[in-house]
Amino acid sequence: MSQISAGGHSHGVGADHPALRSSNISMAPGAGTGLKSAFIGLGVLGLAVAAIGWFKDPTHALASFHVGVITAITICLGATFFILIFNLVNAGWVSTFKRQYENVMSLLPVVSLLMIPVFVLDYFDGHALFNWMSASAHGDVLLEKKAGFLNPMFFYARSAFYILLWAYITSTLRRLSLEQDRTGDKWLTAKARRTSAWAILVMALSTAFAGFDWLMSIDFKFFSTMWGVYFFAGSAYVGTATMILILALLRRAGKMEGAVTSEHFHDLGKLLFSFTVFWAYIAFSQYFLIWYSNIPEETAFFHMREHGAWPMVGVAVIVSHFALPFVIMLFRGIKRNPTTIAFFAVWSIAAHVIDMFWVVRPVVHVGNAADPVGWGLIWIDAGAVLGVLGLLGWLIVGKVTSGPLVGVNDPRLGEALEHRNYV
Amino acid sequence: MSSKVYTTESGEVVYAMVAEFETPADVYHAAEKVRDAGYSRWDVHTPFPIHGMEDAMGVKRTILPMVIGVVGLSCAGLGFLMQWWMSGVDYPLMTQGKPFATWQAFVPITFELGILFSAFTAIIGMLFFNRLPQWYHPLLKKDRFLRVSDDRFMICIEAGDANFDPDRTRALLEGAGGKHIDLVEE
Repeated sequence: MSQISAGGHSHGVGADHPALRSSNISMAPGAGTGLKSAFIGLGVLGLAVAAIGWFKDPTHALASFHVGVITAITICLGATFFILIFNLVNAGWVSTFKRQYENVMSLLPVVSLLMIPVFVLDYFDGHALFNWMSASAHGDVLLEKKAGFLNPMFFYARSAFYILLWAYITSTLRRLSLEQDRTGDKWLTAKARRTSAWAILVMALSTAFAGFDWLMSIDFKFFSTMWGVYFFAGSAYVGTATMILILALLRRAGKMEGAVTSEHFHDLGKLLFSFTVFWAYIAFSQYFLIWYSNIPEETAFFHMREHGAWPMVGVAVIVSHFALPFVIMLFRGIKRNPTTIAFFAVWSIAAHVIDMFWVVRPVVHVGNAADPVGWGLIWIDAGAVLGVLGLLGWLIVGKVTSGPLVGVNDPRLGEALEHRNYV
Repeated sequence: MSSKVYTTESGEVVYAMVAEFETPADVYHAAEKVRDAGYSRWDVHTPFPIHGMEDAMGVKRTILPMVIGVVGLSCAGLGFLMQWWMSGVDYPLMTQGKPFATWQAFVPITFELGILFSAFTAIIGMLFFNRLPQWYHPLLKKDRFLRVSDDRFMICIEAGDANFDPDRTRALLEGAGGKHIDLVEE
């Protein structure tokens, strides 16, 4: 460094910056088709495997599919959350890659629609997943007490409401950003901030309630007031991981040079690290309170996961979601190197899948004392999860290659281009 | 430490040589020259932080985070052992029908002790590595030095540096554009 930085507040650095030359921030026509075909191939193949699994063991296949759908939804929820936060705090350092967050955010209503096949398959499987709607749960006193909230009509209406709400918020924010590309009106940034102010409250509540409805209600006797935070912590974690992966792939393709540097990866790595810790804090707090208070409806959740090979999966979640990334990502060099942090991004997505697997799947083989995990049918899980994530990957690559990689008229681009960690 | 001790005309021991600069850019480039000349015991004084100065000075990254990490994790481990010994060995007490030594119950205090001792290590280590507190500093005797809190930038090379030599150091600072080059007495 032979020059003195002018600091991070030189607004108005625009298209004349060398890092913003058009070859650096736009994909050539037809770029990414290889990756796109690979993803759609994976998606179709995986879902075909899951479909075969449906005829082998419908409940197992349904739960596996649900794991994949929830993972895809949490990825998009994480991206949406970060867009809202960045807008609210006037974050400057993200403006060179905020468009990538928006790409993933805009897919939230699309992947949320995958809840429809989940509900349909659940219906045809006699509500084996959302067991509280089945005849076997009918008359259970714990369900009767919750029926005011947990009844099919209200449940489906709520689900539809979340998806419509998310569609409105994400499309509004996306529209403002794309409009700024065309008109260059810097005040659209302020408009997006105003929208984010009310949207973050609404998103916080709808995310928590979606977590209650789509995950917690699978075991209708169980309740945890921390479930919404747990769901959110996983979303923010996996959303950050996906972003790091997208940016690392773009850098590998020779794009965003000078626009997304080690400095940005460093800070994204810090976010990934912090949400590893936050998730662990929430996950342990939830377990700890249930362990101490010892209320049967609550402890049943963990009791179910202490049989057969489930403790092994639980330990895998703790090690992969927290212990290992915590110790390794503490080191500065790991976060600053795009390759190593991209490795941990993939790792984190996998850890999140195992976490969701640990949450959803125990209900399937709950009566099977010999093999409560259902290892013999684990190929259905692999197929369903990779299938849904393949579909999501295909959608994301499509979005990323559809326009410029950077919101070129963002008034805070100068800040992001000069972003540095001075420690 | 240099083996040689320099004295001024009045017979006082020399602490350092200082040079003044008028702009951040001047002091930045002068710092690069001093760095490249191989000095290690020297500092730059400015009225405000100058970004990138640590590179121009060739300042190495601090090892403080490593110290904090080691002490923090050790103290968390010791905190866990302490609770295990107290509740499981020394004075077992039945609480809530749980076993005597349960790792779950020990986690919050283990965590808090890790945080507490990390914070202690951070603040004490920071003071130690900065050689603080210091109640007196020779530079404060210089009237001109007061201007580094206003509109001047100063480089100060200590006489204790192995490379220090009154003539050569003066030549270096002059060559780097320093004004009002002066010796500071202990």
